[in-house]
Amino acid sequence: MTRAVVTGNQAAGHALVAAGEANRAARGCGGGGYPITPQTEIIENVMAARFSKGNFTAVESEHSAMAVCIGTSLAGARSFTASSSNGLLYMTENVFAAGLARLPIVMAVANRTVGPPWNIWADHGDSLALRDAPWLQLYCDSHQDLVDTILLAFRVAEDPRVLLPVMVTEDGFLLSHTSMVVDLPPQDLVDAYLPPLDLALRMRADHPRTYGQIMSPRETQRHREEIQAAMERVPEVLEEAGAEFAHVFGRRPRGAFEAEHTADADTVLIAAGTTVSTLRRVVEERRSAGEKIGFVQLKLFRPFLRDELAQAIGAARRVAVLDRDHSSGSGGIMWNEIATSLRERPDVLLQGYIVGLGGGEVDPPLIDLVLDDFAGRERSQAPIFFPRLVT
Amino acid sequence: MIEITIYGRGGRGGVTLAKLIAAAYFLRGKYVQAFGRYGAERAGAPVQAFVRVDDEEITEHYPVREPDYVIVLDAGLIAAEAAEGMDPGGFIVLNSPLPPDAFESVFPGRNVATTDATAIAVSNRLGTKALPIVNTALLGAAGEILGLSLADVEAALAHLGLGEPNLKAARTAYGSVRQARLPGIIAPVAPGRPPARTASIFDEDIGGPPKVHTGSWASRLPASASLTPLCSDACPAGNDVRGFVQALVQRDYEAALKTILLTSPFPGTCGRVCPAPCMQACARGDYDDAVNNRELERYVADRAPWPEPTRPTRRERLAVIGSGPAGLSAAYQLARLGYPVTVFEAGDELGGLLRTGIPAYRLPRKVIDREIAFILAHGVEVRCGQRVTRSRLVEMRREYDGVIVATGLQEQRTMDLGAGDHRVLQALDFLDLSRSRPPDLREQRVVIAGGGNTAIDAARVALRLGAQDALVLYRRTRAEMPAIAEEIEEALAEGVRIEQLAAPLRLEGDGEESALICRRMTLGKPDKSGRPRPVPVDGDDGLAEFRCDTVLLALGEAPDGRLLPAGAVLDEEELLPGAEDAPACTAGDLVTPEGTVAAAIGGGRRAAWRLHAALGGVETPSSPAPLIDASALTFRDVPRVAMAKGRLRPARSRAASFLEVRQGLRDRRGRQTAYEEAQRCFSCGACTGCGDCVVYCPEGILTHVGDTECTVDEDYCKGCGLCAAQCPRSALAMLPT
Repeated sequence: MTRAVVTGNQAAGHALVAAGEANRAARGCGGGGYPITPQTEIIENVMAARFSKGNFTAVESEHSAMAVCIGTSLAGARSFTASSSNGLLYMTENVFAAGLARLPIVMAVANRTVGPPWNIWADHGDSLALRDAPWLQLYCDSHQDLVDTILLAFRVAEDPRVLLPVMVTEDGFLLSHTSMVVDLPPQDLVDAYLPPLDLALRMRADHPRTYGQIMSPRETQRHREEIQAAMERVPEVLEEAGAEFAHVFGRRPRGAFEAEHTADADTVLIAAGTTVSTLRRVVEERRSAGEKIGFVQLKLFRPFLRDELAQAIGAARRVAVLDRDHSSGSGGIMWNEIATSLRERPDVLLQGYIVGLGGGEVDPPLIDLVLDDFAGRERSQAPIFFPRLVT
Repeated sequence: MIEITIYGRGGRGGVTLAKLIAAAYFLRGKYVQAFGRYGAERAGAPVQAFVRVDDEEITEHYPVREPDYVIVLDAGLIAAEAAEGMDPGGFIVLNSPLPPDAFESVFPGRNVATTDATAIAVSNRLGTKALPIVNTALLGAAGEILGLSLADVEAALAHLGLGEPNLKAARTAYGSVRQARLPGIIAPVAPGRPPARTASIFDEDIGGPPKVHTGSWASRLPASASLTPLCSDACPAGNDVRGFVQALVQRDYEAALKTILLTSPFPGTCGRVCPAPCMQACARGDYDDAVNNRELERYVADRAPWPEPTRPTRRERLAVIGSGPAGLSAAYQLARLGYPVTVFEAGDELGGLLRTGIPAYRLPRKVIDREIAFILAHGVEVRCGQRVTRSRLVEMRREYDGVIVATGLQEQRTMDLGAGDHRVLQALDFLDLSRSRPPDLREQRVVIAGGGNTAIDAARVALRLGAQDALVLYRRTRAEMPAIAEEIEEALAEGVRIEQLAAPLRLEGDGEESALICRRMTLGKPDKSGRPRPVPVDGDDGLAEFRCDTVLLALGEAPDGRLLPAGAVLDEEELLPGAEDAPACTAGDLVTPEGTVAAAIGGGRRAAWRLHAALGGVETPSSPAPLIDASALTFRDVPRVAMAKGRLRPARSRAASFLEVRQGLRDRRGRQTAYEEAQRCFSCGACTGCGDCVVYCPEGILTHVGDTECTVDEDYCKGCGLCAAQCPRSALAMLPT
């Protein structure tokens, strides 16, 4: 391992480049790149890399960036790109196309709220808006988590049991533009972890066929059923990929959920991204003061593992979800999913909170405010925004 | 854990400073975190950066609230709020030329350290084209306060790939921090204000004009730079080359000519015979081709309407000795200053070497006549056939109120070629003779010794006078020849031959057997002029023989100071001795033997101003603006276009003709017209109104006034410097407010 001080974007760029280089013995790597704050530095790192076998194309939009990824992936290359916010939304049509084509593309997302009015800072509203696309979604809470998850993502995406693209996200600025100490894996270990890609359905000159042709209603249904089945196989593949990761790199990457102190907890907090690291501090402090409190990091959001989540909260009767996103007219997107997970737990008081929108600071005093609010609640209500504003 | 807050301005290196400090601790095995708080106001806005250092992994993802150290990069950001929440044992590091106790009222009871990082950055030329960047100097200062070693600081810079002059800036600051614990009591933390109302997009005033007067952020503001371009700086005559070419771009031919006439009365002459150092210096030379300033100058002289001459207004009568370009330039400038001037010439005609030394096919007589007539029309009188001796000069300094001596280079260098010296002639004498009584050179083989313009001219004239062969012998190679490159090419096209690396030794034989024996040379180490020194080849291999009937010597000339008073120093800045007499000074090749018309013009003009000052004149010539830094020019987006060359009379029709060879640039039709060539001028150091600055200004507060001026709204200019940094021609500078 090379220990270095790098930004989240540099860390993500390093992992993507190493994964691309690892496919040099096969069909190489490729993709399209287009800049947008706060992910630009990722794609700059990718475009500046000199691959033994690979080629990245600077294109004129995110829509085209994903189109190039689709093309290179169909040609059998390991394909990846990065985007954020409105760029991701502009890319949307091809995001769906990539998933529907079952292409194991990996996209790093530096989460940024959607505008206008413009705001370049973090919330998860951009990638969560694509939650219904046939993509896996993994939310990271640190630089190391980001590097490890990107490598893990290729392994899962390319597994014949899955063959779906993966989004790996980092909170914009909070990770993307923050320099931290991280262990960057050397190329030979990445080579060992990511074997040469041999896509069964790749385009071949000696075996011409049509991709994305007309489908009948029943064929369409079967296509979706296959995607659903692939999504359902993700937990076991993720588990295996994590074990293999630990075997190669000597550390275990975070799994679908990371539950801490939930075994004896009355109250459990659930969050994703860097909010988790703040939760960890607050929870540790409160536990040392005698509170029975725990938390769950929601790492894998798609597929959403309902039963596993219900298990993760253990016997807790009070669950608060801290969404860094907002589904208009509904509430927190993660809260929604968790509510369906807990449909068989009428004994649980589930309250949604919406925090950190557009880069609002999620620091221990804010978590304390949320917990103070939650402690006094006897019944849940519509999601509550924090901090409370003077209007 | 150590926590540090850095106050800086967007885009000025605050985040990099945070990364540098983090790197220093990382290299000591610590966990670190460095990040910025990015604002919406972009460059120039107040921003903060933060550093955390710990022995354990850092998990905080929010700004530092209770820093142990505060670093302030910009004097405009020094305020009591910077220390809020700070530990009483903490330290505040300020970028300021003032001592710490100057901040007693701002930071009472605090530990304060100051360093003049801006001065250190400026002296190390750190920063963008527009603004100094102070972060590496502050790294040195902060490193000292943090207890890091200088080696830690240097390692951090190296880790981020920063070398000199950043290292020097950090080292300078590291040893020079001033620190003190200021008297007074730390103010208690002010009670938190009630949270302010958050705006709604439905508010009346949302989206209106910005309320923040960002002009208060600026420590520097853009201002027109007006720098001297490389061409004007290189012009020995002192012409505003860019100025006249840009007037051509405006199609203002009259203004173009007037611009040249400020410094030179010989645009038609220089536009034909100048070696054009301006073109060698032209910044475009490395991009595609230099701008063809010489042909443009000729174009202006030949096409523009000449202005009405001025008339004498003063009563002091002045004399100029010598009517070469230096003397006439001096007379012209003095006449423009209002003096009645009389020019004394030993020969029958005015013009000196312009007339006797430059053949008509290069410089037609009518061009010289026109320019001399223009000078004389300023009320300049002429006395021809008057050779001035030392005693006559003494008399003149009593008859006149001031005298300029511009007798040029009267001594011709020669060499002894042994027997047969009747066949040896000075090339300059030959050129002069060829005007009035041209010798018949039919069937003759002429050898010319030398490599300057006189040698090439003599060879070409020899061919025109019927010589069957004209061979130029030069000690070095063609690449080192001082003659104008185009002239050499034209000469070769006309049939002149050049023998490189050969120096004449002696003439042998007679009649048909007549031959010039030469010593072969090779190129050695460079001499004082920077050209390789010719080294003789010894032995029999070192000799070569060239059949010849006539030898023309073009070995250069030297000044002859015999008419000057005893004790005269050949120095441009000195008046001639003789305080009791009228002031007198020297000008041109006599004192500065450059040997070009342009240098003589410049020397004559400077002498005129010197004499004017000696006579108590109050006007002074305008002093040039600072010289441009060529590396700051950016030719991006400029199409590459080859230089427009002047048309040439075909070689076959100029073989025996003294008609002018060069025909100048096209006027109207065709692609390579003078106007188009002028448009290739990049106008280095002077605004052309291209508008890039207006487009690049992120605030939209730069506006054009007229074609070449822009104005800035100081209420909203935050001094980001983007306008100056992007200005392709360095016509904008960021000046301290």
